[in-house]
Amino acid sequence: MPVRIEALETGHRPLLTGFQNQHPSLVEYLKRYALRHATKDLLARTFVAIDDTPTRPRVAGYFSLATVSVDRASAEKHPNLTRPPRFPIPGVLLARLAVESRVQGQGLGRYLFEEALGLTLQLAKDGPVAFRLLVTDAIDAAAARFYERHGLVRLSDEYPCRMVLDLRPVLEP
Amino acid sequence: MARFQALTNTVLDAELEMLRKRLGLDRSQKAELLREVASLAAWIVQQADQGREVQARAGRTVEPLVHPALERLRARKAHPVGKALELSDREVERLAAALDRPFNPPAGLRAALASLAKAGRHPPKLRWKKAAAA
Repeated sequence: MPVRIEALETGHRPLLTGFQNQHPSLVEYLKRYALRHATKDLLARTFVAIDDTPTRPRVAGYFSLATVSVDRASAEKHPNLTRPPRFPIPGVLLARLAVESRVQGQGLGRYLFEEALGLTLQLAKDGPVAFRLLVTDAIDAAAARFYERHGLVRLSDEYPCRMVLDLRPVLEP
Repeated sequence: MARFQALTNTVLDAELEMLRKRLGLDRSQKAELLREVASLAAWIVQQADQGREVQARAGRTVEPLVHPALERLRARKAHPVGKALELSDREVERLAAALDRPFNPPAGLRAALASLAKAGRHPPKLRWKKAAAA
C-alpha cells in the first residue's frame, strides 16, 4: 500500500507514539499537541503521512498548517511585498514539516511539501479568503536549504529563520 | 464544569430511566438497557452513514430525525477532511500555465508545481531502516 495523507484525528493517536525525528520538538509536537491543536484549540491542522507497512501502519511524516500575518515592515527587503501599502500581509503558515528518521532521504519531505503547497494554492485560488504568502520557520540550516530550493526566501535579518514564498506569480490568472 | 456534568448526568439518568420503563426492563437490567440502546443507535447511525434519512411517520405527519451527531456524520461524508489532495482539471491546467509564464521559479519550486500538475502523482515507496538516524 502506498503512503496516504490524512488529516490527523483521534483514530491516529495509537500511531503517534512510535514517531522518531532528530528534532525532539517536532516529535513532541506530534505526540502531545498536534491533535489538541487540530480538534480543541483550533490553532493548526496537521496532516500525517501513513505508511501501511507489512506489520502495521506507521506515521512516516507530517506537516501542520495554520494562518499567519506578516508585518509589512519586516518584509522591507522584498519590494513586491511592500508595494501594497500599510497593511499586514496575510499568509498560510507551514508551521511544521517532519519526516520519520527511519525513512529520511527517500523523497517524502518533498512530497509533503508539495501536498502543503497544493492545499495552500487550492485555498488561495478557490477558498473564501485572500492571502499572499506561504510562510515557514526553518528549524535548521538543512531545512532552510530545502525551502530555498523550493523558492522560499528569507524574510529579513531580524527573523533569520522565517522564510516566505510569494504566491502571486503562481496565482495570477 | 462539574456543575454542568452533574446536570448532564441527571438528565441522562432521567432519560435512561424513562427508556428502561418504556422497554419494559427491570432496574437490575442496566446491561440489557445499554445493549438495546446501543443497537438502536447503531442502526440509526448506519442508515445515516449510507446516506439515508431516518423519519417518524404517522399518517401524513412526517418528522425527520435531526441530531448534531448525524449532521457531523453527513458533513464529514460530504466534505471529507484530509482527503488526499486532488486537483481539478482546471487547477491542473492553471498550474501548467503558470509554468509557461515568464516568472522564473527555482528548480525545486518548478518541479513541485510540475508534480502537482501531473495527473498520476504518487507518494514515494518507503523502505524503513532498522535503527533511527542520530
